[in-house]
Amino acid sequence: MKLIEAGRYVPVPQRVIAVLWISFLMAGAATMVFFAAIDPMQLKNCVDFPEVGRTAAYSIGFLLFWLLTAASSLFTTLLLYPGAPANAPDNSSRPSR
Amino acid sequence: MLAPATPAGDEVQQSLYAKRQKIYPREVHGLFAVLRISAVLTLLGIFYGLPWLRWNGHQAVLFDLPARKFHLFGLTLWPQDFILLAALLIIAALGLFFFTALAGRLWCGYACPQTVWTEVFLWMEHALEGDRLQQMKLDKSPMTWRKFRIKASKHALWLAFSAFTGFTFVAYFTPVADLLHRLVTLDLGPWETFWLVFYGFATYGNAGWMREQVCLYMCPYARFQSAMFDDSTLIISYDDKRGEPRGSRKRGTDSLRAGLGDCIDCSMCVQVCPTGIDIRKGLQYECIGCAACIDACNDVMDKMGYAPGLIRYTTHNALRGRPSSILRPRLFVYGGLLSAAIAAFAWILLARVPLELEVMHDRNRLYRETDAGLIENVYTLDIVNMDDRRHAYTLRAEGIEGLIVETDPPEIEADAGEMKKIPMRLRADGARLSGRSNKVRLLLTARDDPRLTASEETRFLGP
Ligand code: SF4
Ligand code: SF4
Repeated sequence: MKLIEAGRYVPVPQRVIAVLWISFLMAGAATMVFFAAIDPMQLKNCVDFPEVGRTAAYSIGFLLFWLLTAASSLFTTLLLYPGAPANAPDNSSRPSR
Repeated sequence: MLAPATPAGDEVQQSLYAKRQKIYPREVHGLFAVLRISAVLTLLGIFYGLPWLRWNGHQAVLFDLPARKFHLFGLTLWPQDFILLAALLIIAALGLFFFTALAGRLWCGYACPQTVWTEVFLWMEHALEGDRLQQMKLDKSPMTWRKFRIKASKHALWLAFSAFTGFTFVAYFTPVADLLHRLVTLDLGPWETFWLVFYGFATYGNAGWMREQVCLYMCPYARFQSAMFDDSTLIISYDDKRGEPRGSRKRGTDSLRAGLGDCIDCSMCVQVCPTGIDIRKGLQYECIGCAACIDACNDVMDKMGYAPGLIRYTTHNALRGRPSSILRPRLFVYGGLLSAAIAAFAWILLARVPLELEVMHDRNRLYRETDAGLIENVYTLDIVNMDDRRHAYTLRAEGIEGLIVETDPPEIEADAGEMKKIPMRLRADGARLSGRSNKVRLLLTARDDPRLTASEETRFLGP
């Protein structure tokens, strides 16, 4: 439980950046692996997909992956920092951890 | 070992997003500055120059995503070669481990894009706003026409450079001449525009505004690199035994007689530090290993007439007077894994046959009897010539005696990078078949290069 003990209050902008940036890297890796194995042009034959070129398909795929990984990172941070920390000045009524 | 975030680090962290203290790194000169500048120029030269390089009539390095092909000089890589990319990433990771164990954050100090672009942005800032003191004065002064002009031209220069960077980034994925043409005729596709602007703004934001904050708050490597450290890792350290007690003094004072250490407490090492820390407090995770403080302090030592190296690359063991050997098991393990990965990569690359063959049996009919009384099966061949040249091929079939191969057209040829679907018929004497289903091996060989052979197994069906 060292992680949670060490976890002090991290300002919101820093949390936002940490969530977005790391998920960006992971989405990049996922996109690479996914589209190396799967050609979006072939995917189109199976799923009813709007008419888009490969570049657009890669970009949209990347953005979707990013959405997914960012959601995952976001939920992780939410669990690591349950609500506002007990020592925040405006939050003294909450029970401490 | 790496100290946990120091109290000073906490202060910075807490104040950061409320009101970040801008860091004005002072310019340094010296051996490590020369090394860093050479690294910066080399890496940027490669980044900006590579898209313009041509090779055998095509762009030397082009990740042609729409066509699903990577051109790397004489080599064309296909999605089938993904394992090479994976091997390359493993090599990069192991290389990072190896060099971190050897000498700390070499990557951060000399090669990281964040360092490299920040350095260039600092040069531009310096050219327009003057040195450290002038910059601080300018920022403190109220807004005047002069200040506005300087700031506006700085941001214009930064933005122009960022736009060029974004353009270069996209040029790795779209042929550069074509991209330039469509840029000036305002005919870029929506996604090209998106990535150009995205990468451009990322450069502007990271190198112009965020700078050391990227290293402090965004970089995962900065946090886990300490796992690769041990007491024999070469790190940039202040020799506190020699430096303390610190104190100012007149030039030429003999430290020993004055009861002082060699540190004259001039704070030059703090002023040059791009992350704004004081290396004299020990190794901190904020230190990106840029060695600017070494150059600065050596300069001071030189002026004072003291020996250089009060701040230097050394190991924790050496500083504590313990025997230390740089060659140690950890380094051999990382080095061994790294060599193995490089060897595997080279082997995959050399053993790679740029020809692919797939065989599909006709789905509608299992077999047919010809007028001549032979059994005939129909197939489709998928041939991909992944080489950079046109080839003619011969096709052989093995597995059944007297097997006759017939393709349409009879001569199989494919251009560089061409994928072909070719109908094929196999005929055999029914008496020679061993059962209903017979194994057949097809071998496709380039006429001009027998090493270019692809083989595939299929079934020949009979009654
Ligand atoms: S530059 Fe050297 S002498 Fe000056 S304060 Fe730093 S360690 Fe001391
Ligand atoms: S402490 Fe020295 S090596 Fe570390 S970041 Fe600062 S100037 Fe660079």
